[in-house]
Amino acid sequence: MKSKLILLLVIVMVAATILPGCAGTEPEEPAEGGEDITQVDIGAVLPLSGGAAATGVKLQAAMEVAQDIINNEYPDLDIPLAATAGLPNMNNAKINITFADHQANPEMAKSEAERLIDQGVSALAGCYHSSATKPASQAAEQYGVPFVAGSSSSAALTERGLNFFVRVAPNDDMETGMFFEYLKYLNANNGTDISTVAVAYVDNEYGVHAHEMVEKWLENQYADEGFEYVGAVSYAGDVTNVDTEVQQIRDMDADALFHASYISDITMFVNKYKEFGVAPQAVLNYCGGFQDTQFVVNLGENGNYFAGGAAFSSDKLEDLPELAVINEMYKEKTDADLDGPALEEFASIMVIAEAINEAASLDGDAIMEVIHSKEFNAPYFATGAVKFDESGQNEVPASYVVQTLDEEYRAVYPEDISTTEPVAPIPPWDER
Amino acid sequence: MVKDKKKLLIIILIIAVLPLVIKSRTVLNALVLLLIYATLGEAWNIITGFAGQTSFGHAAFFGIGAYTSAILFFRYAISPWFGLILGGIIAALVAGIVSFPFFKIRGHYFAIATLAIAEIVKQIFVSWDYVEGATGVSIPIIPRDSSFFTRLINLQFNERLPWVYLTLILFALAIFAASYLENSKVGFYLKAIRESPEASEAIGINPRKYKLIAMMTSAFIAALAGSLYAQYILYIDPFMMFSLDISMKIVLLTVLGGIGSVYGPIIGAAIFIPLSEFTRIQLGGSGTGIDLMIYGLLIVVITSYQPKGVIGIIETVRNRRNKNNDGGEGKGEAAS
Amino acid sequence: MEQIITNGLLMGFIYALVAVGLTLVWGVMDVINFAHGEFLMIGMYTAFWMYSLFSLDPLIGLPISMIVVFLVGVFTYFAIIRRVIDAPGLTALLATFGFSMFLKNFAQFLWTPNYRYINDAVVSGHSIKIGTISIGTPQIVASIGSIILTILVMLFMDKTRTGKAIQATALNKNTALLMGINTKKMYAITFGLSGACVGAAGALMSTFFPIYPGSGALYSVLAFVIVALGGFGNIKGAMFAGLIIGLTEAVGGYLLGTQFKYALVFLVYMIVIQVKPKGLFGW
Repeated sequence: MKSKLILLLVIVMVAATILPGCAGTEPEEPAEGGEDITQVDIGAVLPLSGGAAATGVKLQAAMEVAQDIINNEYPDLDIPLAATAGLPNMNNAKINITFADHQANPEMAKSEAERLIDQGVSALAGCYHSSATKPASQAAEQYGVPFVAGSSSSAALTERGLNFFVRVAPNDDMETGMFFEYLKYLNANNGTDISTVAVAYVDNEYGVHAHEMVEKWLENQYADEGFEYVGAVSYAGDVTNVDTEVQQIRDMDADALFHASYISDITMFVNKYKEFGVAPQAVLNYCGGFQDTQFVVNLGENGNYFAGGAAFSSDKLEDLPELAVINEMYKEKTDADLDGPALEEFASIMVIAEAINEAASLDGDAIMEVIHSKEFNAPYFATGAVKFDESGQNEVPASYVVQTLDEEYRAVYPEDISTTEPVAPIPPWDER
Repeated sequence: MVKDKKKLLIIILIIAVLPLVIKSRTVLNALVLLLIYATLGEAWNIITGFAGQTSFGHAAFFGIGAYTSAILFFRYAISPWFGLILGGIIAALVAGIVSFPFFKIRGHYFAIATLAIAEIVKQIFVSWDYVEGATGVSIPIIPRDSSFFTRLINLQFNERLPWVYLTLILFALAIFAASYLENSKVGFYLKAIRESPEASEAIGINPRKYKLIAMMTSAFIAALAGSLYAQYILYIDPFMMFSLDISMKIVLLTVLGGIGSVYGPIIGAAIFIPLSEFTRIQLGGSGTGIDLMIYGLLIVVITSYQPKGVIGIIETVRNRRNKNNDGGEGKGEAAS
Repeated sequence: MEQIITNGLLMGFIYALVAVGLTLVWGVMDVINFAHGEFLMIGMYTAFWMYSLFSLDPLIGLPISMIVVFLVGVFTYFAIIRRVIDAPGLTALLATFGFSMFLKNFAQFLWTPNYRYINDAVVSGHSIKIGTISIGTPQIVASIGSIILTILVMLFMDKTRTGKAIQATALNKNTALLMGINTKKMYAITFGLSGACVGAAGALMSTFFPIYPGSGALYSVLAFVIVALGGFGNIKGAMFAGLIIGLTEAVGGYLLGTQFKYALVFLVYMIVIQVKPKGLFGW
């Protein structure tokens, strides 16, 4: 009796697995040519719940702006695909982005990527978290679907030898080089005397890798140019306080500090720096908490004088009229200005759409062929273009150095992009 | 001996037939994950359900298994089949060595100790360069045109079907092993130890020896599940593998299904996994967390209204029927 | 080093207050409240909204936080705990686990996942200097608040009738019933009191810790370790264990590397529990 009941129950329960996907059918083969297609499906896997949901929602908005520009006619906007409706070489087919949530969980990222592939997307974008981008793009590689990552910064992503993966944001390898050049520039231009360097980083892939890059560049080049490594402090991402960490940083007394941190930790750090009077000559941030607009909101004038890499700062809106239009459209959705990651995700959708358009096909190999060979015109980036090298990395650095001055991000380096002079050394806390 | 061999075989056959009928990759994905978690549940049941030592750290063994096979493949191109077995052995050894000193510790204190173990293991893996530390291991992908045989050796497929059967075989092994153990001398001793450790010692049963056996077996099976999982997802890092979330998921689905019964894990997994997939797929894209809210609420409702798990519901129904039948069927386990 | 020890002690007092609530529930009702971290989060958000909507300084908002989370605790008892208290042990835990997931995401649903900060409280931005040691005013106020509240709870349990009734219920529920104690009411009060403690902790911490749906998570895990370390049900134990953990985190992190801070905490737990299998003061 019991056995039969259990049996029945198990049958019912296992049959319940039918629920999530009963509507699903055989995956469609991607079509060749553009005759019967009215819609091109693109998938985007983003953190739409959990801690990074605030960012995920903004990235979604940026992608929706791209979708709007591509699908509708904006004849006055000088960006590829803006003037026409849809993709001209595909019979003006519109692009349709389907969003999925990976909850910052690699298992879900893979599940969602595969689910979107099953639904027949021609390309994938996302995932912001490098730990989610990895399995999602592994899945894309297995099925031969192009994957364009916008803002995931881990250099490891382009070291995997994948054929169907490219990434728009500069990786921390490139950014580290840029940071050192900036320090040299400060020494020459601002009369600073920066030689010792320390690193504070969150103990995960993002931070660990950034730290490795600092050591690498020092060893390969910058040690010979007068820079010296004095130490590093690392900490868990959900740390409850940074008292000990800041104490150690103070002990190290480095001239320049590199930070690979998220918004909650960097805010704690800055408050503690003020409390302990810690003020190196320069503080440089990898793409993370510093670039989050909440940084200046939460810290106010205490957040001034910090620097970091960014693909967007509002002072460039004057120089880049196309960017200003995009920013307005984005602002309507989010009530805030763009930021670097959002702009990079915007770019990823543009790259996908332009590649499909130029290939005039939904075939994965054909699309990747275009992505790898084309130099994409990107007037919304300060550097103006996107071009991927053999490993899939965008070799045109999308970001430049910004510094928080008067509670705003200002471009300060390289000189041809800067809108103002950097302030260095950082004034001591009691002199502000 | 394995009790109810026929029943177990029927369940397995049903699951085996499903993929031939349902082609949706989403469903099959849910099925693969369901089977992996059900295996983990069976493994966990052995130490917690049978032996009464609650573990909140089973993700540690899951992760050790995953890492062993992943690193062997990533660094030395050794087939994951080998890595699977080795991972199981390493996990069993680690489990034995680390948990043995703690068997004298009871109840909640032991549970927190297992949580502590998992967190320490996580930290070790984060800081250890040999296993790629915080960066995680991206398992190299074999070429798209590889033959089935190559795929089998390297345990990488680009269809779901082979994965359903692989995980099903693992689950079958796990549930048979658990059933065998439950009805063997060891299982009997474990129950005695669980109910009254002092009395068992008085009879001459060495509690620590049997708890050790249970723990090592449990860890071994969990590690096997870990290896398959790593090959399925193709990426692992210490944060996802050694997470408290996974440990609690295992606890949750086994208790939901009914702790102490070998059917508990599969029932719990069959409810739990589709539920979480379903809420995420339908409601996840909004960015508001609604899917997890509903998921959490459902857990609360199910546990508070049926604390003994689904098996409890069955028992209640059966007891009522027995009463109606005027004791004709007899109490206790009905022979099938 | 004195600075490090001071920091460790200050954090330790705060951890202790968070743990006191948990140990009460655990000791009296043998329930592990997995949603404890979320109660903390609710306390923090209450203080934040009082500050942001009504310009109430968190110190003034503190009693409000306490009341709000007290009510949440009582509600949790009646809605959930009451049903699972006699069930096999793990079920109650899972119910609270589900509840914690619900609360965390409900907070995200209501208030977005953005990190919130209280920057202009009375105590913000100041620090006290004693010799070479600098102590942030928010932290010292939080620590003193924690000490006061912990002592108040101890006095409540030992000196008041209700407190003693709760202790009686903890020792033997059936006997307590026979003696005329309304055990259900005692349990509800205990859960509420647990909430009040952690609500207060939340208000105290809101001046220097980010407020977001997940802000309670790590504190929750640390609280479990502290409660087990101190001996479940033992408030004095929770206080001492909290200090030990705070010191381990600070000193251990400084000496061995800050990335190992929490691994060291867990290691200390495992060593102590070997020597004292029921916690430092457990029985």
